[in-house]
Amino acid sequence: MKKRIIYLLLVLSVFLSLVGCGGNDTAETSGETEGGLSGKVTVYMPSPAGLADKLAAAFTEKTGVEVEQFQGTTGEILARLEAEKANPVADVVILASWSDGLTLKAEGGLESYTPTAVDKINEGFIDEDHTLFGYSASAVAVIYNTTIIPELDADWDELANADYKDMIAIPDPEKSGAAKDFLAGFVTGLENGEAIMESWAANGLIVPGANKAALEAVTTGEKAILIAGVDYNGYSSIDKGEPLAIYYPASGTVINPRPAVIPNTAPNMDNAKAFVDFLFSEEAQQMVAEAYLLPGVNDVKADNRSNLDEIPVIPADWNKMMGIASETAAKLNDICK
Amino acid sequence: MKQIDFKKNLPFILLLILLGFLILCPLISIFAKAVIIDGRLDFYQAWQIITNSENLQTIYNSLLLGVSVVLCSTVIAVPTAFLLARTQLAKYSFLDIVFMVPFMTPPYIASMGWILFMQKNGLFQQLFPSTGALSENFFQFGGLVLVMSLHVFPFLMTMLKNAILNIPASLEESAAVFGAGKTKRLTKIFAPLLTGNYAIGALLVFVKTLSEYGTPYTLGRRIGFYVFTTDIHRYSTTAPVDFGSSASLSSILIFICMGMWMVQNYITNRTSYRLVSGKGTRPVQTELSKLGQFGAWLWIGIVVLIAIGIPYFAIISTSLIKLRGFGLAAGNFTFGHYKELLTTPKAISSIWNSLFLAVSSATICSILGTIVVLAVRKAKGFFKKALEAVSLLPEMLPSIVLVLGIMLFWNSIYKIIPLYNTIGIMVLAYVILYIPYTVSYVTSAFTQINESLLEAGRTFGATPFYVFRRITLPMISRGIFAGWMMIFIIAFRELVTASLIAPPNTLVISTYINREFEQGSVSLGMGMAVICVIITIIALLIFRKIVEPKEV
Repeated sequence: MKKRIIYLLLVLSVFLSLVGCGGNDTAETSGETEGGLSGKVTVYMPSPAGLADKLAAAFTEKTGVEVEQFQGTTGEILARLEAEKANPVADVVILASWSDGLTLKAEGGLESYTPTAVDKINEGFIDEDHTLFGYSASAVAVIYNTTIIPELDADWDELANADYKDMIAIPDPEKSGAAKDFLAGFVTGLENGEAIMESWAANGLIVPGANKAALEAVTTGEKAILIAGVDYNGYSSIDKGEPLAIYYPASGTVINPRPAVIPNTAPNMDNAKAFVDFLFSEEAQQMVAEAYLLPGVNDVKADNRSNLDEIPVIPADWNKMMGIASETAAKLNDICK
Repeated sequence: MKQIDFKKNLPFILLLILLGFLILCPLISIFAKAVIIDGRLDFYQAWQIITNSENLQTIYNSLLLGVSVVLCSTVIAVPTAFLLARTQLAKYSFLDIVFMVPFMTPPYIASMGWILFMQKNGLFQQLFPSTGALSENFFQFGGLVLVMSLHVFPFLMTMLKNAILNIPASLEESAAVFGAGKTKRLTKIFAPLLTGNYAIGALLVFVKTLSEYGTPYTLGRRIGFYVFTTDIHRYSTTAPVDFGSSASLSSILIFICMGMWMVQNYITNRTSYRLVSGKGTRPVQTELSKLGQFGAWLWIGIVVLIAIGIPYFAIISTSLIKLRGFGLAAGNFTFGHYKELLTTPKAISSIWNSLFLAVSSATICSILGTIVVLAVRKAKGFFKKALEAVSLLPEMLPSIVLVLGIMLFWNSIYKIIPLYNTIGIMVLAYVILYIPYTVSYVTSAFTQINESLLEAGRTFGATPFYVFRRITLPMISRGIFAGWMMIFIIAFRELVTASLIAPPNTLVISTYINREFEQGSVSLGMGMAVICVIITIIALLIFRKIVEPKEV
C-alpha cells in the first residue's frame, strides 16, 4: 500500500515538474522596448489561428511586449469578457464580425483611439467614434464542389432552382457571425431577400454547423454548394488542392470588416494602442493578406484572392441590419429544421 | 429534543463549508444573474424564461433522449459486464481497456466520425457504392441515441462489472443446492443484488446524457432534434451574451436531475445488500460451453465493431487522407499530419497540459470525493443529505453553466485569491466538475460493504485510522480507482471548460483539436484525436500497473 502511494506521488511530481518547466519558458523574455513599451498585452482573438500566432510573434519582435493570446470563437470570447467584468483582463479584443463589434459598442465601455494610419484605412472599416478598428475583412461567397458541379455562376435566387434541390448548405448563422451579417444584409439590402431565403429552405437547405463544418459538408461531397461560405476558408482550401471553386454572385454580397476594439478597462492601455497601430502597419497587413483575408488599408493588395474593388456588394446599412440580424438567424434555423 | 452537537459535527460543517465554497458560490454567482435585474431582485423574468412554451418541446426532447440512452446503453452494458465478470472472458483483462475506448473518444469526435461514415458520399458509400442511400437512414433519432449510448455505456458497464465481481459464489451455490434453476437464480439472486448499483449507473448515464453538448450539437441539430443544452449554450455564447437566461434554463435541469437522484436513492437504499463481509469470498465462474464461448466472443466482437470499429475507421482514415475532397482513393494517403503534430511545439505542449490537468484533477477528486463519501456515511440527518446533494450537484447541470459561475465568482474575489487566469483555476474547475464521479463510484462500492467488518476491526481494538486503512480503504479501492480512471479520461479530453476558462497561451488537446476543426485542417484534428486516445490507453495501463500489481 505504502509503496503504491509513493509511486503515485512520484509520477505526480514528475508531471508537475515537467509541466512547470514547459510553462516557464515563455514568460521570461520581456524587457526590450521600442518607444518605452514593456510588459505584456492580452489579446482575445478569434480565428484564423495561424494569423493570430504570426501577428503576436511579429508584435513582440517589434516592441518587446509579450502577447498573451486567448483564442476562441467569437461566442467564447464574448462569454469570457462578460464573466471577467469584475476583473477585466483583456487589452485588445478582436471579433470576427462587424455586428458583434457594434453590439459591444452599444454596451459601452470601448476606448476611443485614432490609429496612426487612420488615413489609409478603407472606407467603412472604422466607425465615426473611432472605437471599432476593422484591420481586416472577409466576405461571404458561394463555394462549390467541382467533382459534383464542374462550373457554377448562379445568382442567389437561382440557387433555389430544382437543379440544386437538396444540394445546398449554409453555415449556422447563430454560430457564424459572417453568415448572420450576410443574411441581415441580404434581407434588408435586397428587395426579395427574405423570399429568396425561404425558397432556399424549400429547396432542401441544410445547416451543418459553424463555418468550417459547413464547408466540410461541401468538401467531402455530402452537399455540392455552400451558400454564404466565408471566402478566406474557401481560398485556403482551394490552394491546398481541394476540388472546390468560389465566386461572388452577381447581385452582391456583404463585406464584413473584422474589428479590433480596446476595452476602456484595459490593464495595459498603452500596449493596447500600440497593438492596434501595429495591426494597420504594412507588415501586419501583409500577414492579413497572406491569410486570404481582405486587408484593412487601401495600399496593401491581396494577390491570392479577389480584392475589395472586385467584389460586388449589397449596400450595407448596419443600423438596419443590427435590428433584425438575430431574428433572421433564428428564423433561418427554424425554417431549415 | 433535537440538538446539533457542534463538536461532533465540526468535521462535517467544515467539509460542507469547503464544498459550499467550491460548488455553491459559483452557482450562486451565476444564478444571481438570472434574478437580479438592474440591482433589484426580480424573479419574473427568470420565471418567464422557464415557462416559455418553446422550452417544453426541448425539455421533452431532452427527457426522451435521456431515457432512450439509458435503455440502449443497458442493452449494451449488461451482457458485456456479465461476460467480462463471470465467464472465461474475465481473464482477458485487456478487454477492460478496450471497452473504455469509446469513452476516451471525445464525444464530438465520435459523432463526427459517424457523420463522415454515414453521410451522403461518405465512407460507407465509398466502400459499398451498391448500397445506394441506405446509410443515410442513420440520420434520425435512433442514430443519435445509438451514438450517445455507445459513448456512455462504459460507465454503466464498469459499475455493474465491479458489483458482479463482489457477489460471492456461495449465495448462488446455496440457491442451487436448494434446487433453484438457472433462471430462478438469475432473477431471484443475481438481479436483485445488482439493482442498487444499476440505479446509480443508470442515473449517471441519464444525467450525463441530459447535460451533454457535443453530440447533440454536431449530430442532433443535423436531424433537427434540439435539446436543452444546445439552448443553454446559445444563450451564453451568442451576442448579446445572457448568462441569466442560461442559468434559468439550467434550474429546470437541476430540478429534473435532483428528482431522479431521489428516486435512485430510494431504490439503492431499499436494495443495498451487505455483500462484502468477513468471510473469504470467491467470485463465481460460469463455464461457457464451446458454443457459448463462440456466442460470447461474437457479442463482444459486434459491440467492439460498432462502438470502436466504425467511428475509428472514419477518424483514422480522415487523419491519413491528404485531400478531403477526393476521399478514399489510392495515392490520397499520407502520414504527414502525424509528423506535423509531433513536431509542432503547440501540439506537444497541449498534450502535456492535458496530462497534467487529468492526473492532478483525478487525484484531487479521488481524495476529496472519498472523504466526502466517508463523511456522508458517518453523518446523520441534515448533514448527510446536504453533503451528498452538494457533491453531486456539478453533475446535474451543463458544464458551461458551472464554468461560467466559476469564472464570475473567481473574478469577483480576484483581489483576495488571485487564482483566475492561471492553470490553477483549470485544475479547480475540473475538480469541481468531476467530484461527482468519485462520489458515485465510491458510493457504489460502499453499498456492498458489510458494516460487521468494521465492527470486527473495532472490537479487536483497532484505531479508527487503522480500521480505515486496513479494512475500508482496500474494500472501496476498486471504486476509487475506477473513479480515478473515469475522471482521468474525461478530464483529458474536456472541451467546454477548457475553451472558456483556459488562461491565455494555454492550449489543451481538445481546444487544439477544436481550433484545427474551426480554422485549420480536419485531418490534423482527427490525428490529434487518435494520439489522444493512444496516450489515454498508455496512461491507463501504467496506472493499472501501479495500483493493482497483484491483480493484473
